[in-house]
Amino acid sequence: MTAKLRASRIVKNFRFRIYLIFTLTIALLTAAFALFYVITEGNGFQSTLEREGRLLATILAQNARLPLFAENREALALLASGTARYPSVLYVSISNAEGRALTELKNPRDKGGGALDMEVEVTSPGLVASPEAVLLGQAPVDEKRVIGRVHLRLDTSGARERLKKLVAATIAIGTLFWIMVSLLSYQILKRVTSSFNLLMRGIEEIGSGNLSARVNLDSDDELGRGANAINAMAASLELRELENLSLQEELLLSMRLEVQEEKRRVMARLIHTNKMTSLGLLLSSMAHEINNPNASIRFSGHIIAKMWADVVPLLDGVWREEGEFYLGGIPFQKARGALAENAAKIVENSERIARVVQGLRDYGVGDGARLRPDLELNGAVAAALSVLACQMQQDVWLKTALGTDIPVVTGNQHQIEQVLINLILNAMQSFPDGRGEVVLTTRHDREAAEVVVEVEDDGVGICAETMERLFEPFFSTKLDRGGSGLGLYISQYIVAEHGGRLQLTSTPGRGTLARVILPVGSGAP
Amino acid sequence: MQFLRTLLVTLLLLAPLPALAYDILVLQSLRESGYDEAVKGARHECSGTMRTIVLSDYAETDVTRIIREEHPRLVIAVGDRALEVAEKQRYAPVLYMMALHAKPRQRGTVTGVGMLFEPARYLAVFDSLGCRRVGVICDPTKSGAYLRRAQVAARRSGIDLVVREVRSPKDTPAMLDSLRGKVDALWMLPDATAVSPETTEAYFLFSQGERVPLVSFAEVYLKMGGAVTLGIDRFDIGKQLGIMAQGVLSGTPVEEMTLQSPRRVLMKVNDGVLRRLKISIAGGG
Repeated sequence: MTAKLRASRIVKNFRFRIYLIFTLTIALLTAAFALFYVITEGNGFQSTLEREGRLLATILAQNARLPLFAENREALALLASGTARYPSVLYVSISNAEGRALTELKNPRDKGGGALDMEVEVTSPGLVASPEAVLLGQAPVDEKRVIGRVHLRLDTSGARERLKKLVAATIAIGTLFWIMVSLLSYQILKRVTSSFNLLMRGIEEIGSGNLSARVNLDSDDELGRGANAINAMAASLELRELENLSLQEELLLSMRLEVQEEKRRVMARLIHTNKMTSLGLLLSSMAHEINNPNASIRFSGHIIAKMWADVVPLLDGVWREEGEFYLGGIPFQKARGALAENAAKIVENSERIARVVQGLRDYGVGDGARLRPDLELNGAVAAALSVLACQMQQDVWLKTALGTDIPVVTGNQHQIEQVLINLILNAMQSFPDGRGEVVLTTRHDREAAEVVVEVEDDGVGICAETMERLFEPFFSTKLDRGGSGLGLYISQYIVAEHGGRLQLTSTPGRGTLARVILPVGSGAP
Repeated sequence: MQFLRTLLVTLLLLAPLPALAYDILVLQSLRESGYDEAVKGARHECSGTMRTIVLSDYAETDVTRIIREEHPRLVIAVGDRALEVAEKQRYAPVLYMMALHAKPRQRGTVTGVGMLFEPARYLAVFDSLGCRRVGVICDPTKSGAYLRRAQVAARRSGIDLVVREVRSPKDTPAMLDSLRGKVDALWMLPDATAVSPETTEAYFLFSQGERVPLVSFAEVYLKMGGAVTLGIDRFDIGKQLGIMAQGVLSGTPVEEMTLQSPRRVLMKVNDGVLRRLKISIAGGG
């Protein structure tokens, strides 16, 4: 595996690739030149052989002209044997114009190897005229007549041998040349690419993340200029890196602070929510604890009133008989009415306590999601006001304008009460100096078949930025004053569950109008 | 006007008549510069009017009828074919020239100027070269008569003619081979059998091989290696025949005229060959 990796690295090495291309190119060129040389020389051998053969054949044809014309076979045989003495001649034949061989000589060296056949015509001499034409002064006509043929077969084995030696010598010289040029080119490439390797090492070190590294190349050529440019780039990158690190640290710090702040807010909300839950349980427990003595008080009031009613005739008789007397330091005639009135107040206040406790209990415990088809909106308003009775501040003037023809709607009374309580509380808390007017209105929109409850105040109003986030959970501008940030979120949810709408319109500095719109009839889903 | 027209027509009708009246009918075998040269020579010496017919211009010509109808006083035949045609008629005497193959005639009305010099001319050259044995190759059917005259003359000159007869051009190389070592010089006769285009070079090869001078009949052979040539002067042959024709026109009977040989010899020497052969001509060139 290591060897494979090493081989892969060598193959991807720039110097090796250049060297490989160079040596391959030299090898190809050397081979091409060698091939060209061998082919040229081979053709030269062939043409030399052909020339030699043609020359021999021509000479033989010239010499054989007269014997051939005279059909002197002895002379032709002599000529043929003379020609056959040449080492390259394997076969000699001299034939007349009809193709009949007058002499034929086959060299015993002919072993049937490569041979070159050469045939030359034997012609009568041109430019020689007949005696009569000569006497007439006719110009000789160069008209040659074929009177026979000379056929030579030449041995090409010698040429082949020479060609083989030539090929071997060419291959040896070419290989030696290639090796020498390759070695020389390797040395040259080594020198040429040393600067390149230095540059690559510097680039790789910078690329590996060490932006402090620099390419130590001291030259004024292209590589030197490239190294300077890369060094400048590395320095620039190093500066940017430092800036990035600084920015990241700042970002992390700010994110950490933001997370801590968010965590603190969430914890505050959770604590508040937990507090509210505990408050609900407390209210339920309180209601139970209050209801028992309150029932006893109310019962006692009733007993006192009943007993006083029974005692008054007796005491009237006493007064009539004995005159004025005092009860508890108060003259009887005053005490007579005051006692009955106080007994009635005991019962009345006890009942009021019972209602308040019941309201607190119902608010804290609730009665589930039970929907009533005959929910009276004004009743829900009254219940909400009764719950808030103790919260009413003296400087806040609550005015109610309840419609008389409000039809019943389908809904959960406690949830609607909760909505109204939230809206009234928000209105009461909108006065910067705790003084203001809250108007609570109910009406019936017949055309839209809807009932509407409006809670309007003349408080500080809501700015546009806050208005956009009003219905977000846990968003509150009164977290420091016990706000949970869930009032409007839950209210909108409840109203939407009833098939209605909760609308808030506000003018900063002039007040806010909260409008709960519920459908009449089967509005709830 | 009418008179002038009649006169003009009459003149036109009579115009061919002078052409038909001539002294000599010249029959020329073919249009050849050598023949033209000889005819010019004849015209130069003969004042008689001539009409020339070139036989090669016609596919077939009835020369006999022409002669019979036109009555020329003499027929001059130029070339072998013209001589052959002229000999077929008996209305006019015939003088011939430039006929290489002309044979001695039995009929006395045919004579002329031959193309071969007297053998003595050649023998004189061999004598001046100092050659005693002279090789000759010839076809007896063509050059037999001339050879016999040459042998007679040679005997008188003390020169031994070594004769080889050939019947076919193919025989020439072998005959030449048979002369090796037996002759001092070679005499090339204008014999179409002995000297063919195929065998001409054999003479010169023999001359070089045997180192013997070759004496020939035309200057062109000097360039091929001949030592001495005795060439004919065609114009002078024409003049020679023209004198004979003038004689005939003047009333000399043709029968009294003998066959003549060319009188003017154009002798040329290849000094280079003679130098190589270390031979000199006695009495200068």
